[in-house]
Amino acid sequence: MNLPIDWSGVLTGPPLHWLLSGLAVTLAISLAASGIATVVAVLLSALRLSPLPPVRLATLGLISLIRNTPLLIQLLVWYFVGFGLLPQGLKAWMTGDHPWSVLPGQVSLFAPEFAASAWGVGLFIGVFLSEELQAGLNAVAPGQREAAASQGLGGWHTLTAILLPQALRNAYQPVVGQYLNLMKLTSVTCSIGLAEITYQARQIESFNSHAFEAFAAATVLYLAIGFILERLLLARRKA
Amino acid sequence: MAAPPVIEFRDVHKSFGALEVIRGISTTIERGSVVVVCGPSGSGKSTLIRMVNRLETPTRGEILVDGVSSTCARGEALRQLRTGVGFVFQQFNLYPHMTARQNVTLALRKVLGKTRAEADAVADEVLDQVGLADKAGSLPGQLSGGQQQRVAIARALATRPDLLLFDEPTSALDPEMIGEVLTVIRQLTHHGITLVVVTHEMGFARTVADRILFLDQGRIEEDAHPDAFFSAARSPRARQFLSQILSPLHTTGD
Amino acid sequence: MGLDFTVILKNWDYFLWGRTFQGETGGLLLTVLMALAAGCLSLALGIGLALASWLGPRPLRAVLTFLADLVRSVPLVLVIFWIYFLVPALFKTKVPGALSVILALAWFSSGAVLHATLAGLEALPRGHREAGIASGLTDGQVFTAILLPQAARNLVPSYVALFASMIKDTSLAFILNVPELTMTASQVNTRAQIYPAEIFLFTAAVYFVLCQGLSWAAHGLAVRLQPGQML
Repeated sequence: MNLPIDWSGVLTGPPLHWLLSGLAVTLAISLAASGIATVVAVLLSALRLSPLPPVRLATLGLISLIRNTPLLIQLLVWYFVGFGLLPQGLKAWMTGDHPWSVLPGQVSLFAPEFAASAWGVGLFIGVFLSEELQAGLNAVAPGQREAAASQGLGGWHTLTAILLPQALRNAYQPVVGQYLNLMKLTSVTCSIGLAEITYQARQIESFNSHAFEAFAAATVLYLAIGFILERLLLARRKA
Repeated sequence: MAAPPVIEFRDVHKSFGALEVIRGISTTIERGSVVVVCGPSGSGKSTLIRMVNRLETPTRGEILVDGVSSTCARGEALRQLRTGVGFVFQQFNLYPHMTARQNVTLALRKVLGKTRAEADAVADEVLDQVGLADKAGSLPGQLSGGQQQRVAIARALATRPDLLLFDEPTSALDPEMIGEVLTVIRQLTHHGITLVVVTHEMGFARTVADRILFLDQGRIEEDAHPDAFFSAARSPRARQFLSQILSPLHTTGD
Repeated sequence: MGLDFTVILKNWDYFLWGRTFQGETGGLLLTVLMALAAGCLSLALGIGLALASWLGPRPLRAVLTFLADLVRSVPLVLVIFWIYFLVPALFKTKVPGALSVILALAWFSSGAVLHATLAGLEALPRGHREAGIASGLTDGQVFTAILLPQAARNLVPSYVALFASMIKDTSLAFILNVPELTMTASQVNTRAQIYPAEIFLFTAAVYFVLCQGLSWAAHGLAVRLQPGQML
């Protein structure tokens, strides 16, 4: 069982550049998708509180749809179908020349892979985030809503100033867990061609067959990002 | 033309499912009056005042606040109506993640559109009025029950309402803190604000109120000046209630 | 929206079972078979770990939980690649893509089974265990004869929910070109070219029906299996 391990196969030359480029893309896509997920989660929370039954039902239906289909299928749908649905002007702008939007390794932020991945992963995690927020909201005392109503606060202000801050405190651990999950799920985007860490590890493997070293490096990178992210997010928790 | 009464109840009914809690109440509350609403538990007294600012909706009938129906109001109109009605809850319901000052200024900024500076000025003034100017930066969790309820009163006062509703303001307090809250409420009577207080504190009622509404099983059984109510209540249920609540040993059986 | 679903009708059998009758299992059939295989393996592994935690010394539970969480700190895709590339290198045998996915899923989910099983056991009244011990049974016998059957009431819904997750995760086999449902859909798309919306929406619908159905079954079981009822 002799395994010749040669770290120079991944830590020098082109493979190193690919790994670093993959790291940049993973970080960028995690950031973009996190932003989208947060917005989606807040919107879904607001929609679930709507006084109109059809709105609530449609929201619950959407949530059920996203939760019960694989992320990969959703990415494929957004990749093949989503781009075509965008208005013509937006498409033209996205495929134009924007030097600022190109990450190290020639990955464009507006490439279909990146856009579909950011939106697909963002929407997916946004739904799970809204579930965690819902649990947190259910733990907020009903008197809070009444106090806000008695002061004349409207639905949006009540949600954002009173309910969500308390829901977040109630559900802080699971919410952080979802963001960590998001970072790990970006690995699935390699299947639609996004050149993030996992994609680059495969690239290295097919370049010089250093499977062990390549995937070991990828594993270390994911563990490191996860560790740092967890420390950062959990350290901010107020006593 | 004379100004409309602050509150007008027009044949108000309220049922929760099959349970009828308010069975036809019609009366008016005059401007500047101090009204105590009392009665046995289940008489509907909390429900009655909660319907004034639409925390509950009447099943039948209508309630007018300053001549405007709160029963039919919706959306922006309802929100504006509510800023004119201060409400103090039994459980205080302060926002736990905000300081006392922030609790007071929130509605001023978000609903009345005041700037931060204007709102802070009002907050400092009303917190001083309830004797908690030095606690403006404290979180509710750092305050005693009595202090929290006084902040809640300040919060209700901040929007300068003409009408203040109190839903058993001292029932959730330890006995030694009841006095400080009742003192604050008593001081409000000098400002000409209309006060409607649901309470069991009969000593307070006797000395501060100028009208007692005794509710039993969803109807007004007795409506009198405190002197008349305490010495010569007419309805048997009222007399029974008074003897129970004033009995020092709670020995008066049913 | 102008969707034309004839491409689905023309290929319905390919979606359902791929090239099974030509010797290569595929399509929805392969998805379900992989999920079942991975499910059984992860149940066995997870319950085994739970047994070890429950019966073993206190520190063992902490160690096993830590290890289970460690596996989950790495993306599942990477675990799949590890098994696919590393096992052949170590054992000099080639591992078919489907098997890599099954093993990776089983290993990855065993942590979730461990957590769920322990939670189900902790929820049991302490008296059950004590009654068993008092009548002379060993800890192991108490576990298998008394605790596990009782806990099954709480656990079956959790396991069914995990199985639904498993069905969704088999889609990752796409990355290794394993011809399960997602790969099958992609193949049809590559052939037909102009119907990506219809193909992938249909595929999503198939997963949705399967997983939402399982989710409802889990919920129905949770409601029906009240304490005191025989399983």
